[in-house]
Amino acid sequence: MPYASIVVPAYNAARTLSETLRSLSAQSFRDLEIVVVDDGSTDSTAGIARLHAAQDPRIRLVRQFNRGLAGARNSGIAASTGALIGFCDADDLWLPGKLAAHVMHLDGAPDVGLSYSGSALIDEDSRRMGHAQRPRLRDVTTAHVFKRNPVGNGSAPVIRREMLDAVAWRPAVEIQRDWVFDETFRQSEDIECWLRLCLRTDWMIEGVPGLLTEYRISGGGLSANVEAQFASWERMVTKLRPLAPEFFAKHEPAARAYQLRYLARRAVSSGDGAAACDLIARAFAQSRTPIAEEPLRSLTTWAAAHATARFGNAPMRLARAVLSAART
Amino acid sequence: MTDMPRILHLVDDATPGGVTRVLNHIRSCPLMAQTARHELWTVARNAALPRCEADMIVSHLSLSWRGLPALISLRARHPGTPLVHVEHSYTEAFTALNVRAKLRFFTMLRTAYALFDRVVAVSEAQGAWLTRRRLVPAGALRVIPPVVDLAGFRALPAPQGAPRVIGAIGRLHGQKGFDVLIRAFRDLPRDDIELHIFGTGPEEQALRALAAEDPRIRFFGHADTPEAAMQAVDIVAMPSRWEAFGLVALEARAAGRPVICTKLDGLPTSAGASATYVPGHSVRDWTLALQAQLGAKPGPGTAARAGRAEAAFASAWAEMIAGAVFGAAPSQAAQSGALSLA
Repeated sequence: MPYASIVVPAYNAARTLSETLRSLSAQSFRDLEIVVVDDGSTDSTAGIARLHAAQDPRIRLVRQFNRGLAGARNSGIAASTGALIGFCDADDLWLPGKLAAHVMHLDGAPDVGLSYSGSALIDEDSRRMGHAQRPRLRDVTTAHVFKRNPVGNGSAPVIRREMLDAVAWRPAVEIQRDWVFDETFRQSEDIECWLRLCLRTDWMIEGVPGLLTEYRISGGGLSANVEAQFASWERMVTKLRPLAPEFFAKHEPAARAYQLRYLARRAVSSGDGAAACDLIARAFAQSRTPIAEEPLRSLTTWAAAHATARFGNAPMRLARAVLSAART
Repeated sequence: MTDMPRILHLVDDATPGGVTRVLNHIRSCPLMAQTARHELWTVARNAALPRCEADMIVSHLSLSWRGLPALISLRARHPGTPLVHVEHSYTEAFTALNVRAKLRFFTMLRTAYALFDRVVAVSEAQGAWLTRRRLVPAGALRVIPPVVDLAGFRALPAPQGAPRVIGAIGRLHGQKGFDVLIRAFRDLPRDDIELHIFGTGPEEQALRALAAEDPRIRFFGHADTPEAAMQAVDIVAMPSRWEAFGLVALEARAAGRPVICTKLDGLPTSAGASATYVPGHSVRDWTLALQAQLGAKPGPGTAARAGRAEAAFASAWAEMIAGAVFGAAPSQAAQSGALSLA
């Protein structure tokens, strides 16, 4: 039985899956299995996974009718055998030392159940964009997870199976296996799971230094989703609130403000200045906590939203060009 | 018998509630008195502890960093006396919902528990948590679910006819989850059913506001006796958010009342195999569970009613005392405990 399992949910991922699997096969920590879950793809995803499995016997393929990202991750958890379970979406990449870093971290910190790292953002051609998620790594509280989601993305954490088992449940409609991620969510399924892990178990959450995940940003059509994304975030809050009403009463406005600020930044990225201005205004109407805790980031978001509304894409294009010129 | 060991119980929580009632039972139970003399001392929280002449000292204190110096001093002044701690408060769900700095908390518990020869968990799940989290070494851990005198509850006639009254018994505090219960109950359309809430506490105003003049929901404050509250209800609901043991569930079993509760911490131990378990705190799940229980036929009057709870408690304590005070092998101790009950 391998010590670690890496679950790779894959839906129509033919374009990126090979690179993802190569990055996982190349992990310096060798005692692992890779469970690719083909979530009802209509392209050659399964064939590509088989090709890789022929070269690396640690790769296995599980196929199912489309159940969504949460459903694919749950099937991967059920099919995997490791004591540690990592997740890597089929368009993201792991740096070679990532698994080793998390294995070492968890071995040395027996009260930590979930270990994550920062991520570098990459574009469709796998080039680093110069942006990164650099979350807080230590002294992470449940309030911090709710407000800032330090885990960051679904390809960042490696989690003890014991911790996942503690929150698994079998809904009445399910006949095959337990749920860990909530399959009724199409967005916010990550943060819903991380926050539930915090509210339902006494395991600690910590990060390791370094940008060990490369997280792909695919362009286009983001701002159209912004309201849907906010609605699913609100649904997550409504679902989890009864678990800890006092906690939510205390932290909900600030967390909502951070969420709106995040969505405002996404709207700026996609050039929708009007939406960005609206979102950042709603954020600060909810709570001033982001201004107090992260003044620079909050003010630049406000400024970028208004610049985009006034001048369109030009200011952000210029800023990006200057930044990337400064880097090279 | 004058050679019976003298067991001194230290407690810092004299407010009426589960712990106080369990301690009164320890002091007054005839079965307990067959193997040891149990005495109760109430001490101030986190203050210096007295020097005691006893064959065994049992702490029912609430552990904290501030209380550690007093515990260390107690240990130092009684180096040869077996020291036992009963953990009435802390659980995995308590930690998840109430502890910000978990490592600091675990370190406090490890440091405190290390001062004791034995640590008593009050439920299977709590014992498993203490072991899993490496808070207590396996050899030092005992699991002894608490008990009170259940005779009064067993004497209650089983509810007759179709169940109609749901009972919520306990402190009106976020821990007990009565907010979920009120919301779930309000979604039940029947107007011949009632929710009776017994207890007082900081959440009272908020809960009354939630009930919003629903005439089926009634607040009774403290019942004169725990048995009186139990007698008034057909079903006992416990949507607790954490619960080291959950005495009310055991009392409900003794009274032949069905229990609906969350499946966490000590509740599977106190509510037993026959209870209805709701996986979480979703209002909808609770509404469905209440609806199902209200539609169920009343259980058979010959239910076990937790018949051996007091005896099992006395025998477990006798065994632990025998092991700690006289160094008896567990099997011998178990026999002597069993004999004394015969």
